[in-house]
Amino acid sequence: MGLKEDLDRYRAVGEARRQDLSEFIQYGDLGQSRPDEVKIPIKIVDLPEFVYDPRDRGGVGQGTDGTPEVGDPVGEPDPQPGDGEEGGAPGEEPGDHEYYEMDPEEFARELDDELGLDLEPKGKKVIEETEGEFTDVTRTGPASTLDFERLFKQGLGRKLATDFDEEYVEAALRVDGWGPARVFEWARDNHIPVSRAWIEDAHDSLPAGEADRWASIEEMEANVERETTADRIRRDGLDRIPFRREDERYRYPEVIEERERNVVVVNIRDVSGSMRQAKRELVERTFTPLDWYLSGKYDHAEFVYVAHDADAWEVDREEFFGIRSGGGTRISSAYELAADVLAERYPYREWNRYVFAAGDSENSSNDTEKNVIPLMEEIDANLHAYVETQPSGNAINATHATEVDDHFDDRSNVAVAYVNGPEDVVDAIDAILSTETREEAVAG
Amino acid sequence: MSTDDRIRKQHVAGDLAEPAREARRLAEKLGLAPFDVNYWVVDYDEMNELIAYGGFQHRYPHWRWGMAYDRQRKQTQFLGGKAFEIVNNDDPAHAFLQESNDLADQKAVITHVEAHADFFRNNEWFRLFGTSPDAAAMLERHGETVAEYMADPEVSREDVEAWIDHVLCLEDNIDQHREFATARASDEESVTPGDLAEELEGMDVSEEVRTEVFDEEFLEAMTDDGEGPTFPPAPETDLLAFLVAHGKAYDEEAGKATDYEEWQREILEILRTEAYYFAPQKMTKVMNEGWASFHESLMMADERFAGPDEFLSYADHMAQVLGSPGLNPYKLGFELWQYIENRRNRREVVEHLLRVEGVTWRNFADTVDLDAVQAMLEPDPEMADPVAFLDALEADDPRVDAEALSAARRGAPDDGGIDVERYPWKLLTYEGLAERHYSLSKPQHRGFLKRINKAELEKISRYLFETDRYDDVAAAVAAVDRTAGWDRMREVRESHNDVTFLDAFLTPEFVDENDYFTYEYTRTTGDFRVTSDAAEDVKKKLMLQFTNFGKPTIAVKDGNFRNRNELLLVHRYNGVQLDVTRAKQTLERVFELWGRPVALKTIRKELDDHDIEVARRRDTEPEPTEQGTLIRFDGESFEETDLPDEEIEELVATDVDYDTKPEEWL
Repeated sequence: MGLKEDLDRYRAVGEARRQDLSEFIQYGDLGQSRPDEVKIPIKIVDLPEFVYDPRDRGGVGQGTDGTPEVGDPVGEPDPQPGDGEEGGAPGEEPGDHEYYEMDPEEFARELDDELGLDLEPKGKKVIEETEGEFTDVTRTGPASTLDFERLFKQGLGRKLATDFDEEYVEAALRVDGWGPARVFEWARDNHIPVSRAWIEDAHDSLPAGEADRWASIEEMEANVERETTADRIRRDGLDRIPFRREDERYRYPEVIEERERNVVVVNIRDVSGSMRQAKRELVERTFTPLDWYLSGKYDHAEFVYVAHDADAWEVDREEFFGIRSGGGTRISSAYELAADVLAERYPYREWNRYVFAAGDSENSSNDTEKNVIPLMEEIDANLHAYVETQPSGNAINATHATEVDDHFDDRSNVAVAYVNGPEDVVDAIDAILSTETREEAVAG
Repeated sequence: MSTDDRIRKQHVAGDLAEPAREARRLAEKLGLAPFDVNYWVVDYDEMNELIAYGGFQHRYPHWRWGMAYDRQRKQTQFLGGKAFEIVNNDDPAHAFLQESNDLADQKAVITHVEAHADFFRNNEWFRLFGTSPDAAAMLERHGETVAEYMADPEVSREDVEAWIDHVLCLEDNIDQHREFATARASDEESVTPGDLAEELEGMDVSEEVRTEVFDEEFLEAMTDDGEGPTFPPAPETDLLAFLVAHGKAYDEEAGKATDYEEWQREILEILRTEAYYFAPQKMTKVMNEGWASFHESLMMADERFAGPDEFLSYADHMAQVLGSPGLNPYKLGFELWQYIENRRNRREVVEHLLRVEGVTWRNFADTVDLDAVQAMLEPDPEMADPVAFLDALEADDPRVDAEALSAARRGAPDDGGIDVERYPWKLLTYEGLAERHYSLSKPQHRGFLKRINKAELEKISRYLFETDRYDDVAAAVAAVDRTAGWDRMREVRESHNDVTFLDAFLTPEFVDENDYFTYEYTRTTGDFRVTSDAAEDVKKKLMLQFTNFGKPTIAVKDGNFRNRNELLLVHRYNGVQLDVTRAKQTLERVFELWGRPVALKTIRKELDDHDIEVARRRDTEPEPTEQGTLIRFDGESFEETDLPDEEIEELVATDVDYDTKPEEWL
């Protein structure tokens, strides 16, 4: 079929301009994404055309909550008419506006495909009771959890089941020679849900002289129209729904026993004076996809961000990649802090642990050998990694990475990667993640 | 399609036959005259395919549809987008319903589609392409033609694809306000003046003579000094037509321009035809979507085409469509149509009131009690609920459909009657329905009548005659024509496009109520900032975005530029500069279609560092200088030259200032 072929051509034609995953990791705008939602640029093959300079053109927006003040920033401009057509025709704007969102799981899957990885998250299986969806019901509960829809439906059902056309039954009583018993029998045959008692009452209150209005039931049926309940409800509305207490149900969260696979990732970064902009960016490019990947692989992921120069302190993610301090460097300070945090908050029997550190390999003398390596051995973790970022090649006193590499050499839970430029990022990620995969293979 | 599939779809289709039939009858009662519509039930994948193909089942083979399809799938998958309605402009129109939608959604789509089909048929801009498009067949034919060329062993598939790419870059460079005619017919008489150098080659002079006498210097002198013939006589905005008539392809091997191959010319014609076919839809998006939303709402909500049980789900859907963020054409159009309806109805009422003896525009506020008028305007109970008054309705009342009335009195549909409980509108005529749905009596528009101001009263009274026709207010109100609003709306839908529509009906009242504002890029802050919420500014900016598909106007100025058969394009500068990078990329494509060097005259806004610095210190926006520029591409490299100031004059198209930045910045 034609479209299938068009799709193939599209994949082939625009290959050169394709924003695929590894390219995105190296050069894309990572800041568009959040930890729980990865934004990948959609590949757009963008034919040129005569257009206005978007900056010079400006545009029109609509305030969501009153008109904004003159001078307020508007953020990303709204799509304007002329930017793309109805029916998803090819985009008219340069491709950098188009993203689709991936969740980290999908990201992890795609990265597995791309790098040929197959990391099976290990089972720190923790049994936990969690509150699930409000899908269970009980007969009592706080008013706010009352399942009104059900109450209403039950009431409506009851009304439909018990409601009948009163005038129609009364008309039957007006048939010559028909008493309550006969009418009741007739009602039964016609599936009219009326009680014997009601018929008796109606019979008693029948005005005199009305009892022989119709000569036969056939005549009555031909002349009196039976109105269906639905019509009556349409006409009169639903003001008399018979609610019953026994129909009340209160929603209650389902209790789920979950076997979760938890992961904690400690991201450590050297923020000392020697870590300049280019190096910081390389760290972000390496760490961020790793975080997404692990979030995608595990049911529950937590992150600890540790910044250090000669001392170490814990920071938020927002700050983590931006901080810069003037101090010297002592990498062991970060591992000391990591060891404390992990011991206190993330016991190894419950958590899978990943400890990723990055820096330019400069460290105060002997710190690596005397302090860092013993700490790395001491901290139980699925994987330790050190990412060396040296955009300008190696500095002479930058030996931390090599020392660690030499010491641990064949150990399956320690990875060392070198990133000198964006083009190394994907390889580094591959090297780090495949270290653990290798262990999997050995262990499995 | 598997049997299961087919059965499921047939089942869905069976349920929809009656709503479709009744929606058509209701639409006609409301004054619409749509094309016949064929409805098709499709599944989710088929829906995505149709959307990618722009609403049709067959298009020419090209990767753009693949891209659209890929995006459509990803967006519905990741962004939860839901495909609701797709209908194409054809006679009969074809509309597609997604089988997984629930009945309320289907009914909404059907009512929406009927209104679109009416718009397609009756809006004059659609007539420019011909009175009855045979679109599906035409597009399928185009598809077959292109596919044949691609399969032709003489022509490489890549070449065909690249050729389509080149032409698509100029897809919007047509003259969409002109009636469509094939390019060859419209440009038959003009001739291409020959290239002197080429002619010399053809003259069979010896190489010696050529190099000695007719050397480069000579040619240069001849061509530069000589005022060679210039064509077209007036600038031509239909670039595609001009190319069909005069374009050549650049032959890489021979290193010169050669005549188009038949396939090149035919594909160019095909794509130009399609551009003209789709142009009216792009030109009337706001009107058309608004028209459909208006009638959908009238039929679904006011006329309760959604059953009581479906109404909530419908209301939810409507809220989603109208509530989506950004400049939403559905919402903008819907609100403007309501405004037109109200305004015309109000005018009708006021015209009558001003003809009451003793009432003038000056004493209007004191002599007329508008609350009382409002009460008198309430629809008769018989119109509001004709079913309840079935026995009281009179067959000779012009508001009553006599035939339907007698049928209704006969009883239920089975007895040859009609189901008036379900379709009460059947009892009424157009006049009756106009009263039943009279806009000024709707709760949401109750204040509209009273908001009339003195200026408008004066304007209305200016040309009134017979100002003492009515003795009192009651007599005047009784004579008010309730159909005035709807009649006016149909007139507007016949003759307007988005530009004229917004120009005529986007009022300050409307802009204020909807919190519209303009924004511009500011250098001081390096981002986009809100610049104005004044109605005239918003309108100006909107007009910029709707005029010429929101694109700059480019015209062919000279097909014999520099007397060397180069192509000169001019940008009709309206104060907003071109995206020069993209313009250059486009020129590269135009070169492929012209076969010889191409050039573009435009105006750039230039800022030097000094200006920026001064402005920064004074905390104002720097004032750019406008510099005319000629950008020329000879197939290999670009050359940019500044134009003398007097040439700028002829590039400036309008004196509208689209810049909405305030004088005193921040």
